[in-house]
Amino acid sequence: MTAVAQIVSVQMPETWRRRFIRSLLYGGDVDRAAKARARVGLAILAFVVVYSVIAIRLVMFAMVSDGRAVHRVVGGDAVATARPDILDRNGEVLATDVRVPSLYAEPRRLIDVDEAVELLTADLPDLDATELRERLSSKRGFVWLKRDISPEQRREIYRQGLPGIGFLPENKRDYPNGPEVSHLIGHVNIDNQGIAGMEKWLDGHGLAALHMAGLATDRLQNPVQLAVDLRVQHALRDELVAARTKFKALAAAGVVLDVRTGEVIAMVSEPDYDPNNPREALDPSRINRLTTGVYEMGSTFKAFTIAMALDSGRFTLKSSFDAHGPMHVGRFLIHDFEPENRMLTIPEIFTYSSNIGAARTALAMGVDAHKAFLKKLGQLDRLRTELPESAEPIVPKHWGDLNTITIAFGHGLSVAPLQALMGVAALLNGGVLIPPTFLRRTPEEALAVGKRVIKPETSEMMRYLMRLNVEKGTARKADVPGYYIGGKTGTADKVINGHYSKSSVLTDFMAVLPADKPRYLLLVMLDDPKVLPETHGFKTSGWNAVPVGGAVVARIAPLLGVRPRMDLPDAEHLILASLKESR
Amino acid sequence: MILRVLNFAVIGMLVLAAAYVYRIKFDSTVQAERLAKIRSEVRRERDTIASLHAEWGRLDNPARIEALAKRFLPLKPIQPTQFDSLDQLPERPPQLVKPDSPDPIASMIETLEEPAATTGSIDATKPVTEPAPPPADESAAATDGLPAVKSGRLDR
Repeated sequence: MTAVAQIVSVQMPETWRRRFIRSLLYGGDVDRAAKARARVGLAILAFVVVYSVIAIRLVMFAMVSDGRAVHRVVGGDAVATARPDILDRNGEVLATDVRVPSLYAEPRRLIDVDEAVELLTADLPDLDATELRERLSSKRGFVWLKRDISPEQRREIYRQGLPGIGFLPENKRDYPNGPEVSHLIGHVNIDNQGIAGMEKWLDGHGLAALHMAGLATDRLQNPVQLAVDLRVQHALRDELVAARTKFKALAAAGVVLDVRTGEVIAMVSEPDYDPNNPREALDPSRINRLTTGVYEMGSTFKAFTIAMALDSGRFTLKSSFDAHGPMHVGRFLIHDFEPENRMLTIPEIFTYSSNIGAARTALAMGVDAHKAFLKKLGQLDRLRTELPESAEPIVPKHWGDLNTITIAFGHGLSVAPLQALMGVAALLNGGVLIPPTFLRRTPEEALAVGKRVIKPETSEMMRYLMRLNVEKGTARKADVPGYYIGGKTGTADKVINGHYSKSSVLTDFMAVLPADKPRYLLLVMLDDPKVLPETHGFKTSGWNAVPVGGAVVARIAPLLGVRPRMDLPDAEHLILASLKESR
Repeated sequence: MILRVLNFAVIGMLVLAAAYVYRIKFDSTVQAERLAKIRSEVRRERDTIASLHAEWGRLDNPARIEALAKRFLPLKPIQPTQFDSLDQLPERPPQLVKPDSPDPIASMIETLEEPAATTGSIDATKPVTEPAPPPADESAAATDGLPAVKSGRLDR
């Protein structure tokens, strides 16, 4: 091209006008050809730059997929996020996510607010018109109008074709078993965040962080398996509901605990609620009495007193204590429910459930030893499980002789029932205190977290005493033939307005099954059971909690795989004999 | 001349390359669309599975099953006396019939039914095509011994 320009410039004779303009523009002695060459070079460079930009953009467009891949951002962070499924120990679904449409609006895109309000309230009568108008008139980009609408409502609203009104499929937590496992798994709020029970625990363990990162939007998370067995849970709840109706009790609660692993196989606190309708949970009478409530457990605490005496080595099963009553302590009198007024051996104290005998046993051990033993068994500190709900035990500030005397038979120290159950499990499983868990745990893992609190021989003696109590003592009504149940009853006067009530009691029963080789520990607790004609005017544990416990055992033992064994010898021969052999 | 041929060749190659790239791009778009469709289908399927799981959980709820069983079944809760262990089982009776020989009782019934089959309008002269009865000693032993025990049925 420069060549052409040169030729042109040579061949064309310059007119005077041209020459004049040239001299005006460039001055007289400038080489035009060289200038033109530089300009052309500049133009080439500019074109190269422009074209390469175009080429690079083309490549970029081809590499990055087109606009469809960009997600809708509108309301994306407000959509309830996905949660992992919760399964029971057999893989039955306890909680899962289902997709439901939710109604939202983009007020800025709305044309006629009045029309929208009118049409929407016609389809959704429970929507408040003034609030709806307020929301739609706001200048926000995104507002929820109603979460979780039915498919029919969705269809109706869709048909009206309102601009700026849309639907988003949301995850909603669904509990197919209704109130069956309510307190255990808890529930979620409208944004699918756990606010109680295991659901809250899930949020505390990584799920909340996932939510923050916006990663937990799809159901690609592994389900969480709990230790609970839905069948056992149902059987326990069924019996407790029946018992609560029968004895007109304020509440009934029960736990099945695996003594070797600390797994909670079932946990019911009646009255409970339907997690699909979490508003019910706000009712204070529906609290979880097993972890959130603290109670004086009554005579079941004698198991601790006796175990302490036996474990110290200072007393044996043949030791006896004076149980002449009533016992005077300061201003107080301590009575036995069925006074024997003689010397009682330790097995007799246990089976007659003698308050005086237990008190004298604890006194013989001393206040400090008593306190240390209960501390060792975790009865004086708050029990922490996976459940967020827990309660601090009410421990006397100044623990004197009188406190030791009353605590020896289960008054004056309030603990969470699950806590007491953990302690009794340690007395029976060979002497290892294992914190209860709601998740799966193997016996090896349990041994790793457990700590030894009493000697194995003491545990063997406690098994004997528990069995003896069913054969001859206060828990005779729980003896289901074939399952070799052992158990301890408890009846505590309820504290009402700071005084022990004369009329209302709390009864509980702890059953171990089978007593010679414990696998499971059952707790049945009735709050304020009433006297019935068939209980002959009594409302102690032996007349209400114990028969319920027997009925529960008969129902759950086949589910738990406990084989019935007929014609077993009595505790004297089966458990005590093996104890003597091992020595 | 050579330069011109080269020019045309390059232009031709350019057109070909463009066409080829266009085809690849088009294919990939089609594939991407298919992928998106399958993804949304998978998501929908997963959602359906989840809601069916929930539905199944609701139907499989022990309380519901128990209510149904109480209404429609004569079954009662298991009593401890109804359990027994395997070592309490009586001895397995001696095997009277070889495992792969025909069932003696069935073939006996078949031989009994033979005359009944020839009554009615069927031509009595038609040749009978029933299987031959098994050896007499086996069927006899089976009938007067333990009639209920069939060959190999007690195997676990």
